[in-house]
Parts: sequence; C-alpha cells; structure tokens
Amino acid sequence: MTILRAKGLSKRFTGVVAVKDMDVSVGDGELLGLFGPNGAGKTTLFNLIAGTFFANTGQIDFMGHDVTRMPAFRRARLGIGRTFQVVRPFRALTVMENLLAAVPSMAAGKRNDADLAWELLGKIDLQCRARDSAGDLTLGMLKRLEVARALMLSPRLLLLDEPLAGLTGKESADLLLFLQTLRGQTSVIMVEHNVRLALPICDRAVVMDAGAVIADGAPDQIRRSPAVIRAYLGEDQE
Amino acid sequence: MSDTVMNPPAGSMSRGNRSDAIFIAGVIVVGAIAMAQPWLGVSSYFLTLIYYVAYYLALGQAWNLMSGLTGYVSFSHGALAGIGAYAVVLSLNGNLPMALALVVAAIATVAASLIIGATALRLRGTAFTFATLFFQELVLLLVRKLPFTGGSSGLILYQIIPVWIAYVMMVTVAVAATIAFALTRRSRLGIRMLAIKSDESAAAAIGIDSTRLKIILFCASAGIAGLVGAVHGIFVATLYPEVIFSVDLSIVALAVALIGGVGSAAGPIAGAIVYVGLREIVQVVAPGAHLVIIGLLLLGIILFLRDGIVPAVGRLVSRKGSRSSTSGRQS
Repeated sequence: MTILRAKGLSKRFTGVVAVKDMDVSVGDGELLGLFGPNGAGKTTLFNLIAGTFFANTGQIDFMGHDVTRMPAFRRARLGIGRTFQVVRPFRALTVMENLLAAVPSMAAGKRNDADLAWELLGKIDLQCRARDSAGDLTLGMLKRLEVARALMLSPRLLLLDEPLAGLTGKESADLLLFLQTLRGQTSVIMVEHNVRLALPICDRAVVMDAGAVIADGAPDQIRRSPAVIRAYLGEDQE
Repeated sequence: MSDTVMNPPAGSMSRGNRSDAIFIAGVIVVGAIAMAQPWLGVSSYFLTLIYYVAYYLALGQAWNLMSGLTGYVSFSHGALAGIGAYAVVLSLNGNLPMALALVVAAIATVAASLIIGATALRLRGTAFTFATLFFQELVLLLVRKLPFTGGSSGLILYQIIPVWIAYVMMVTVAVAATIAFALTRRSRLGIRMLAIKSDESAAAAIGIDSTRLKIILFCASAGIAGLVGAVHGIFVATLYPEVIFSVDLSIVALAVALIGGVGSAAGPIAGAIVYVGLREIVQVVAPGAHLVIIGLLLLGIILFLRDGIVPAVGRLVSRKGSRSSTSGRQS
C-alpha cells in the first residue's frame, strides 16, 4: 500500500528551480533512501513533503489526504514526522521536555506520553540525560534526540534529513541499527550523503540530480545505474 | 543503542513538582501575610508600597505569561490594563455589582487582545511587537475621542470603595497570576510555548499549532492584565487617559520581568520589589528620572546578569553548592 504519493512537484526560489516536475511515492513500512549530490533538491523535497514550503505545482497525497496546501503542524498530526539537516533541538527545554512537547498524531491512539518518552530515551541511550538541558548535549546525542522527538508523534512516515552527518562511526552504526528496528512500524524516507552506510539498509532508493529523479529502484540497481555514477563522478571526458 | 528500558524517573520527575509545590505554598503564605497588613496597624505608606509591588508583580506576570513563554515581546500590556480600568469604572458607574464589573473588565480586555492577536500573531518575528505598540497609541486615541469614555478629561468612579478592598484584590490577583504562571510553565502548554520560543518551525514539525497557542496565551495574559487594570481603576478612582494609557506602564510590565528573570515565576517577584524599592529611592534622590534609572538598570542587567536577578542568583547558589561539595570530598 502506498502511503505517500507526490506527483509533478515543482519548487522555484527566485529563478532557481530546486525541484522540477518530480514524482515520488513511499510504500507502507518501506525504508526509502533519497540520495544525490549537493544541491540536488533533496532537502527541498523534504520541506515540500513536511509542509515547511508549499509546492509551486503538483500534488501530495498522504494516507488518502491531499496535503499539498496543508500547514506543517497539520501534516505532523496526520503522521509525518521529520528531523532536520542541521539539528534544531528546543534548547530551553530539558531532554525529556523535548519529547513531551510533541503532539501525538492521529495514529497514536491512547498512550502515556511520559512512559513512551522514557522508553524512547532508553532506546537512544539518553535516559541518563533526561533532566539535562538539550543545549548541553553533543551533536551525536542531539541527532538521536531529534529522531526520538519525531517518533513521539507515532508517525506513519518519518523524514530523516542526513541523520548520520557529523556522527562517529560507532554512533552511525548504532543509529542505523535503531532505524532498522522501525522497519514495518513506520515508513521512512532518509536523505543521506553517506551512501555506503545508508544504501544497504534501504528497501528502495531514489537518486536526484538538479531537482529531478535520475534513478529509482532497489539498492543493487542503483549501485550499477550509469546515470547515478555520472551524477556522482561526473561525465567521462575522454 | 540500548534495548533495555528502565523505569521512568519517578523521583526525579516529582522533584520539579515538589519545588513547584514549595514555591506555590510560599507565594500563598506571603500573599496571606500581605493581605493581613491593613489589620495589623501598618502605616498607609507601607501599605501603598505593598500595593504597588503587587500591582507591578501581577502586570509583570501577565506580560511574562505571553512574552516570557513565547518570546513575542508585547508593548501593549499597559493599554490592556487601561481598558480593564475603564471597563470597570464604566460598569460600576452603571451600577453593576463589583464581581460582574471585574468580569466585564476581563472580557473587554480579552476581546481587545483578539484584535492584535488574531492578526499579528499569525506572523512571525517583530510584527507582533510593532502591532502592540500601534495598539497602545490607537487605544489612547480612541479613548480621547469616544463620547462615553469622558474624552481627554477622563472618568471618575462615583462609588466610594474602601481602599483596603482594592488592596486585598490586587494582592489576590498578584498571587493568582504568579501561581497561574508557575503551573502553566510546568504544564504541557508551557512546554509547547517554550518550544515555540526556541524554534517555531521545529515546533510545527511536531504538530504544535503555534498561532492558536500564541493567541490563547495572549488572551489569557490580556485577561490578567485587564483584571490588574480593573483593580487599579478601583484603587485610583480617577482615570486620566494620558496616565492610564501611557506607554510607561507597558515598559514597566516588561522591565519587571526582565529585571527579575523572564520565563520564571519568581522573576517578576524580584523585579517588582527591586523596581518599587528603586523608584522610591529615585523619587527622593532624582525626582522624575525613574524611567532613566530603570533603563540604566536594565542595561546593567542585560550586560552583567544576562537573564535577570533570579536566574543569576540560581547560578551563583548552584556554583557555591558544587564548590562546597567538592571541597567536602577533598577534606
């Protein structure tokens, strides 16, 4: 079952076309990798799906709802959670309060928020920092905190924007392991520059270049795609 | 990442609740002592000082509730209090009972706050601050022109209401506003408002409807400011628009919270005591220059104490505590 379907999405910023006529879909429980060189339009696509920006053209359907012109907070309540490329914790709040601030999505059902927050902090190894100010955490901890904060929504779709950026090898491996535990519970779209680490855990991958999709398929197909190799390594000049 | 899930930190969670309960109990006790003063033979000068501490404290808490929690700076709390004062005097002159007149004052202020809130709070950044400044001037202009407000000559309360009634009501409002702030700060609403203050886009990404919450909080804050103004209207009994709607009061509401500590329940208490104390001294030493002195004090606090007296004292105490525990371990 497809839970997100975007058709013909375009976004322009004063003369620059960041995303052009793009189609993308995500299946229920699927982990979709979104790759591409810098400036390919990956984060813009994220912002269009999350509702940070509105598309100039095109339509986004999420779980049967047309969310194209829906504000970000309504999309979150429908079940679209996200993290940011540059971490954005609520620095004035404690680690625990960062999680408790989230408004549960429609999919959340009856639950005890404090228990869920505590359980999530356990899963990301931050229970011992629950009462500390979020501003006192390291980058690796903040990345994990953002994932947990998005999971507090009980999202049906989780958008992870470069979750491994700035993490050590051990932290990256741990986070990827944690993300694999979400498989089947929630769909994930993950933007990541570290293709070598991220691609193996993806069910499917989409590669973007200059605002458009240049490849879409299973990880093995993506690795062998000439268009992807060209986008990453450049045209052969010989 | 860990798969083991320990039990929620029941003890640590209740530590915050316990300190809140102690703070609230302390506020109630001090409030009760302050309320008893008129029957303890205290001089009228001292009673007036306590009244003004309560007045600025209540107004500072009203400002703190909106601006301290959201970061949206309001310059309209003086005007909102003024609307409350006019509404209560008009209602009492129209022979409404006191309780009903206070309700009318609060409703009138909340309705007025919706004019700014429903428009300017949809925008981010400084639009709200400019709208509140504009509102302050607009209200003064309207009060001067409208026939039922007495124009430039103002309004007089025809009933003679004993001063101690206004005194007790103001202390009650100050205590209630302080408790309301302390409870809101710890509540899910308070956490979400502080999330908005930290990062409004990130708050939207976790489902927080920032516009709705800001409007709700601004209306609540305006309702408190309206009650404060209403009680002060009863206290002074004569309303001159230039005095009641002077921007000075909006600045004082902001200054009281800034001096004591924005976003903390104890901040405006310290701020109001320092402000009233300082004003009394300055009125003797340099009459008419109290706002200049307050301005300099604010500058000093921003430069040296960063976020107000209460957080600075808190840091000092925790530093001393950690130093003494270290030296205790060494010995």
